[in-house]
Parts: sequence; structure tokens; C-alpha cells
Amino acid sequence: MLSLKELLHFLSLSEPNIRYVVFGTIMVGIAAAVIGNFTFLRKRALVGDAIAHAVLPGICLAFMLQGSRSLWVLLPGAFVSGWLALLSIDWINRNSRLKPDAAIGLVLSVFFGTGVLLLTYIQQSGDGSQSGLKHFLFGQAAAILPGDLWVFGLTGLLLCGLVALFFKEFTLLSFDPDFAQAAGLPVRRLELLLSTLTVLAVVTGIQTVGVVLMAALLITPAAAARFWTDRLGAMVLLGAAFAALASVLGSFVSYQQPNMPTGPWIIVVLSAIAFFSMVFAPRRGGLARLWDKLRHAWKIREENVLKTIYHSGESLGDFTAGMHIEAVQGRRAFNPWQLRLSLFTLQRRGLLQYGASGYRLSGEGLREGARLARIHRLWELYLTEYLRLAPDHVHDDAEAMEHLITPELEAQLEAALGYPERDPHDRDIPR
Amino acid sequence: MTTPVSEPALEVHDLTVTYQRKPALWDVDFAIPAGVLAGIVGPNGAGKSTLIKAIMELLPTASGYVRIFGKSLEEVRGRISYVPQRESVDWDFPASALDVVLMGRYRQRGLFRRLSDRDRRIARDCLHQVGMEAFASRQIAQLSGGQQQRVFLARALAQEADLYLMDEPFAGVDASTEEAVLELLTRLRDSGKTILVVHHDLQTAARYFDWMIMLNTRLVAAGPREQVFTNEMLQETYGGKLTLLQAVGNLAGSKGLPLRE
Repeated sequence: MLSLKELLHFLSLSEPNIRYVVFGTIMVGIAAAVIGNFTFLRKRALVGDAIAHAVLPGICLAFMLQGSRSLWVLLPGAFVSGWLALLSIDWINRNSRLKPDAAIGLVLSVFFGTGVLLLTYIQQSGDGSQSGLKHFLFGQAAAILPGDLWVFGLTGLLLCGLVALFFKEFTLLSFDPDFAQAAGLPVRRLELLLSTLTVLAVVTGIQTVGVVLMAALLITPAAAARFWTDRLGAMVLLGAAFAALASVLGSFVSYQQPNMPTGPWIIVVLSAIAFFSMVFAPRRGGLARLWDKLRHAWKIREENVLKTIYHSGESLGDFTAGMHIEAVQGRRAFNPWQLRLSLFTLQRRGLLQYGASGYRLSGEGLREGARLARIHRLWELYLTEYLRLAPDHVHDDAEAMEHLITPELEAQLEAALGYPERDPHDRDIPR
Repeated sequence: MTTPVSEPALEVHDLTVTYQRKPALWDVDFAIPAGVLAGIVGPNGAGKSTLIKAIMELLPTASGYVRIFGKSLEEVRGRISYVPQRESVDWDFPASALDVVLMGRYRQRGLFRRLSDRDRRIARDCLHQVGMEAFASRQIAQLSGGQQQRVFLARALAQEADLYLMDEPFAGVDASTEEAVLELLTRLRDSGKTILVVHHDLQTAARYFDWMIMLNTRLVAAGPREQVFTNEMLQETYGGKLTLLQAVGNLAGSKGLPLRE
């Protein structure tokens, strides 16, 4: 099983084969992640998938014409057919009534189907050198040769360099293409460049992860990085780092477990990173959102408890009288356990005091209770006056609104109502 | 009816635009003088947005042409600013308010060139002019609709143009933004700029604009507000549809035939 020694040996990169695989997959992963940010932000993930599938017939045709498995022969073929697929999608969108998703699906299946057909033909023709061509379906990183590293390195450098050079133009193109065109940017040519770079990234990636999984290498790093940052520059760097990390870990798993494919493992690790981000990222992640919801629910409960004690004091005309838990429970049905907890936290915040006669409001608690009652009654008044709702129908809405208010909104609310003194149920609105 | 204008800032000559092969604008022909705040009004589907998109050459035209300051768009592009509809972009984009305003400086800066400190100063100043300087580093998804509209206007200001074309800058904004936007447009007009605004609210149109273009797939009227914003013209713009015009347009659309050979 997994051992630290093995991991260290792997990370020392002393075996040339490990070096080729690790460096190759990292270069390919980073290039795809960098360009994938724009694919992701332009909402063209499906187009990326279609291009990835569509390079297969190009690879097969290049092989059939040249009879060589060298990347220098196969990649130009892949590039041309990926490009043709992109053009076909654009052409169908412009000249037919098919919807964009149908155009993408159509091009993907026609090109991929043709590719599989050609692949089958090549395999049945019994050409001795064809073995390994089918690895382009799911990739075979173990077959990366030193010469391939040159291909990956050069295309990766070219790609990242061009993205850096055109960073602000690509950003504007992704955010607001109409504005970019109106401002006189060469939008058509920039789009062409961006698409070409996307095809290039896809083409170099197919040897490691294969045509079927390539879209994941393009989109997943950007999607994961988006959870952690609101800045595009940081998102690009973070996406690249995720891709590099996944490449190393994916390569390690396939090194450590015989017969485990590298490409699919890279994608598995990448998906795990994306899933982790989706759940644990601060602010945008699922847990952060859940936490916000729980905190709001907690706040509502505390405010309701405080308001209940305030109402009791109000009806008695005496805010100094204490109140036991049962009495609070009698005025409003709380979950007993949650009520105890809320009373405890309110006491700790100094809003409630506990004595022999039970809980009673502190000076600060009295002010807070009056504020809550006031806002509730103001909202009720607002709802009856502006929405023309009947007084007996406004309580539930006001109950929800009173917990969401800001001081500015409160001031506007009061002004709109003309600083009223009585609510629709003819109760005092406390100052 | 159209009022002739000498030395116009913008002339539109017999502009016909088809949208998905259906004609959206028929032979629209008008001109507006420099230094006016002009409003384009008309019912839904009248082709108001289509008109300014066609002026900016964002849509292909079937026939007709546009002159701006007496020249073609390409020759004077640096003097024109276009503000798209707020809903036309995805505000969940990883960018801050300042980032968006800086986009208004990209053209002046040119390809490959990095933005300078001067660009940043101008962008901050534009944010200040729309009352948004406190929100410069705020992620744009966290802004309210009105604030997002102000950011769009600040971006247009950063372009330092002479002619502004704005698509529904008053749509879906709060009352204080509406006042702020109006004040900004009036100030621009008073400093000699020309502004053309697509507007959906008839009630406020008469108060906001001093020049009117009334549109309903064809031009109904164009001229000074007090001359064209009349009951009769409003009736013609919003009242009975020209059913025959619509029928022939639908025919062209359903057969997929071009309107011009």
C-alpha cells in the first residue's frame, strides 16, 4: 500500500520515466487550465468537449496518410480536425435554426463517430505500427517520450505567453463582447486566436488524458478556482496550481498501482479538488452558505425570545418582573432545547439577567427588545398602508422582515410612514 | 415627421435591419444635432435597442448607412461610447467595479499595452462621478442593480467620448440611481456632449429628454421634444399596429428570404 518512502522516491524524480510523465502531464495540465479559464467564463465548456472529441478523426487520418505515430505527425492532423469542428459549430449556429446545444451535440457525435470508425478500420487493417493509437481515447501518459516533452513545453510556453500578452483583451471579450466590439477591439480576430489556443491546448492534452476526458482538464481547474477567488488573475494562477497538483498526484497513483491509467486519475484528483472547493471554499462554498443560513436562523430565534420577554413586560406594564422558562414557553411555542440555548446566549451577551424571579431584560436588552418590537410594527404598518393588506394578514410577513433590516432601511421606513406612533393593531410603536 | 438638422452629430440614412431575417427596422432616417440629450421611445419590440446596435455596427444592416460627426463609424470610433443593457452581461464575473471601469480605457491604451497609473486615476475619478468610489474594489456580483448600472456609466465616462449611445440606462434601477444618472447625463449634455438613450418609460421621457426619436419598427417622428412628443405622435407610435407591414415582414422571416437582393 501507500508508503511515505515510495512517495519520496517518486517525488525525487530519479527515474527518467517518472520524470517524463510528471513533467509532461504538468505542462499539459497548466496549459489547458490557463486557457480553460476563458472557455469556462465564456460558458463554452460544451464546445470544449466537442472539440476534444472531434480531434480523433484528424489523428486517424494523419496516421493513415503518413503511417507514423510521432506526435509531430499526429498533432497537426488533430489540430485541423478540431478546428473544422469549431468552424462547423459556428457555421450551423449562423446558418440554421438549430439551437446552439443541438449544433454542439451534432458536431461532437458526427466527428467522434467518424473517428471511431477510422480507428476500427486502422486496427483491422493489421498495420504493425498501429498499436497504441487507441490510447488516444483515454490517453496513455506512460508513453510520453523525451521528444514529446519538447512538443508540450513549446506549445505550453506559446499558449501561456499569448494569454499573458492578450490578458486584458481576452478578459473583456469574455465579460462583454458587444462593448469590446463597439470600443473597436478586433473582436473577430481575438475570438479566432482564443479558439485556436483552445484547440491547441486540447490537441496537446489528448496523449495524456485522451479525447474523452480532455474537456475536464480544460474546465475543472477554472471551475474549482472560481470558488476561492473573485479576481481573474488569481483564478488563473490557482487553476494552474490545481492542474499541476492533480498531475503529480495522478501520476503517483498510476506509478504506485500497476495498471492504473494516469490520465483518468488526474481527472479523478482534479474532480476531488473541485468537489472539495464546492463544499469547503469560504463564502462561495456549500458549508459557508449553510453556516450563514444557520447563523441567520440562530439570530432570528434569539430575537424572537427577546421580543417575547419584551412583549410580556409591555403587557404587564413592568419590565423589571422576571420570567421563567415555562412562562416564555406559554407566550410563544419554542423548541424547549433551543429556547434554553437562546436564553443562555442572550444572558451571556448581557441582554438578559437571571435572578430568583427568572429572566428579565437588562438595560441593553430592553433597548434591543424595544427596537425589535418597533421594527415589527413599522413593517406591519408599511404592509397595511402600501400593500393594502388587511391588518390581520400582515403579521407573518413582518415577522420575516424585521430580522433583515439595516439602519438605513429603518430610517427610510420611518420617513415613508411619517414617523407614526401607533401600529395597525393600535399598539404603541416604541421609540 | 422628422426635423432637418444642419451639421448633425449623428445621421441615420434609410437604415433597414433584419433580425433573424425578420425586419426589425424599416428605412429609419433621422439626424440629431450635437449637444442634445435624445431619447428613443417606442413599445416593446419596436427595435429601439436594434437601432443603436446597428449604429454601432454590432448587427448587420440590410441597407442604409450611418454618419457620425460627418464621418464613418470607423473613422470616429474613439469619440463614441456605447453602454450595453445591464442584463446583457453575466455579473458573476470575477472582476471588481474598478476592473470594469478600467475596461473603458483598453482602447486608448491599445493592444499589448499595460494600463498606466493615469488610466487608474481616470477610472477612479469616473467612479467618483457616479458616486461609486467607495465600491471600487467590490466584486461586481455584490452590487445592486442600480450600482451595476452606475459602474457601466463610469466605464462609458472613462472612454472620454463625444457621443454616448446608451441602452436602457434607467431600466430596473432604484430612485436615487435614476436621479444620479439623469443628473450625470444632463451635465454631459451641458458640457457639449451628445447623448442618445433608449428609454422604456413614457411617463419620465418628457421630463428627461430635449430631443425625441419615436420608433415602432419604422420611424414615427424625430425632433425637438416639444414638437414631436404630442398626443397624435404617441398615438401613432403606441396605437394601432401596421398589420400589413407586419404581415409582409413575417412572410420574409418565415421563408428565410433576404429583404434586399
